[in-house]
Amino acid sequence: MAVVVELEQFVIGELTQGSGIETIDPEENLLANGIIDSHGLMELVSFIETRYGVKLADEDLTPENFESLATVGALVSARRTG
Amino acid sequence: MSAVSVTELLYANAAERADAEAVVHHGERVTWGELVDQVERLARGLAANGIRAGDAVALVLRDDPWYVASFHAVSALGAIVVPVNPAFKQAELEFVFRTGEVRCVIADERSAGVCERIAAALEGPVTVVATSDAHGQSLTIDALVEGPPADRLAPRDPDETFVYQFSSGSTGRPKRVPRTHGQCAAEAALYASLGMTAEDRIFSAIPLFHTWGQGACLLAPAATGATVVILEDPNPFLLQRHRALELLERERATIFPGVPFQFRLLAEAPDGADLSALRLCFSAGTALPRETFEAFGEKYGVLVRQLYGATEAGVIAANMDPDPVATFESVGRPVGEIDVAIVDDDGQMVPAGEVGEVAFSSPALTDGYSNLDDVNRTAFRDGRFFTGDLGRLDAEGRLYIAGRKKLLLEVGGYKVDPIEVEDVLVAHPKVVEAVVVGVPGRADGEETVKAVVVPDDDCDDRELIRFCQERLANYKVPRIVEFRDEIPKSPLGKILRKYLV
Repeated sequence: MAVVVELEQFVIGELTQGSGIETIDPEENLLANGIIDSHGLMELVSFIETRYGVKLADEDLTPENFESLATVGALVSARRTG
Repeated sequence: MSAVSVTELLYANAAERADAEAVVHHGERVTWGELVDQVERLARGLAANGIRAGDAVALVLRDDPWYVASFHAVSALGAIVVPVNPAFKQAELEFVFRTGEVRCVIADERSAGVCERIAAALEGPVTVVATSDAHGQSLTIDALVEGPPADRLAPRDPDETFVYQFSSGSTGRPKRVPRTHGQCAAEAALYASLGMTAEDRIFSAIPLFHTWGQGACLLAPAATGATVVILEDPNPFLLQRHRALELLERERATIFPGVPFQFRLLAEAPDGADLSALRLCFSAGTALPRETFEAFGEKYGVLVRQLYGATEAGVIAANMDPDPVATFESVGRPVGEIDVAIVDDDGQMVPAGEVGEVAFSSPALTDGYSNLDDVNRTAFRDGRFFTGDLGRLDAEGRLYIAGRKKLLLEVGGYKVDPIEVEDVLVAHPKVVEAVVVGVPGRADGEETVKAVVVPDDDCDDRELIRFCQERLANYKVPRIVEFRDEIPKSPLGKILRKYLV
């Protein structure tokens, strides 16, 4: 399954329960639009590390990398092949 | 009350250290001389657009040098600063604009559009000034500061209103808290009395719109001449951790006002940083957990001190013990001439060591909430503000915060402290976070204990109730357990209990 689709499922299933969000556009700004908060972010990082077997360095944790599902997906792909 | 206004403090810095750095942000370095020049120009531009003394001006800005200049320009004009969380959505902004009776909004490019839409729908003219014309905004801050240098601004009367803060409303609707020039200058002087000087470099990672950021990163530098090093967009802090450590190290920050969550994330950072210049870390907002205190101290070699403050008065107490290891749970002694008393339900002082409500007097304390006479009669008595916080003073005068008085639940004739029940719940291996609230019970005035729990694993309510039954008197055991993904919190991490009932 495409990484971005899995990330969307995780965010909707685990981080936005009860908010009525059913889909997230890959380009939608996760932080500015309040889809993910500080705690959700920590869960997302830990999901990525467990699910994809990658270790995100502190330099990876930037607003640019976590702007949207597309940018998070790109980060995951880069770390998996890197 | 202090006889000096914040505007005069600003001019004193420009006279004594015109070329010293006042604000550092994103590689930009603004000196005190440049800051005062910007303040004078901006005040002139606002006046030319009809802003007068007594008008409320909302700042919907991310933390940057424009925030600092706007804060001082608005107040130097005698207008009233209304700091606003720039992450607020339309309805929240509208509430603040209405309750603050806002006449002008200074907004950054991300917020200017929504502010213009709200302004158009409000009764009476509201001027919107944008920090850029990226979205076709008609009035920009650049246009306001154009032209030759502006005239020196007159000192303000200490009794004039400086700012409308809004209390975080963790137990109710936000209240408007006006504070005067004299009260804000007094708060600035309280920070100076903690030993801050012009040599200090204060790391600003708490939003400037918040009382904590405003006091430690705007008022404290005005009184002391310290430099403020601003972390861009501090939220979410996890994504700024790397940048925060880089700035703390590179800018050789000496003072770090923060909240426990930030100190925890920095303590958990995979890489270290050389924070040898750092001499004072203050944690406020909520209680500092022991693990965070120890982990941060071990990793960076500087101990985090707790500080206690309130929207109504800014800083109240700070732990300045030479070696705060034994007393890290204390928020310290009252700062400067602040007087803290621990009182019982009749307002009588209780002996040292006993828990009661924290009440205090301070030269920085507001005269009362706007338009809330009934609340003021209860909360402001005998020159003191009754905080609703529970605390105790030790024999040496150190203050320990023990919870919120108003949170006690009434269950079957007993009072239940939700914090006690929460402490039990979080000891359960499958519970990440728990908040206990009271919901209306069977009889009038009676409450039922409800636990809102963020679980770590699949976990059912009977399991948690059994766990509590083994550890708590029956009346304290939650009757309702609700599972949630997260606990709603204010920007500084205070639990918003009203959303859990």
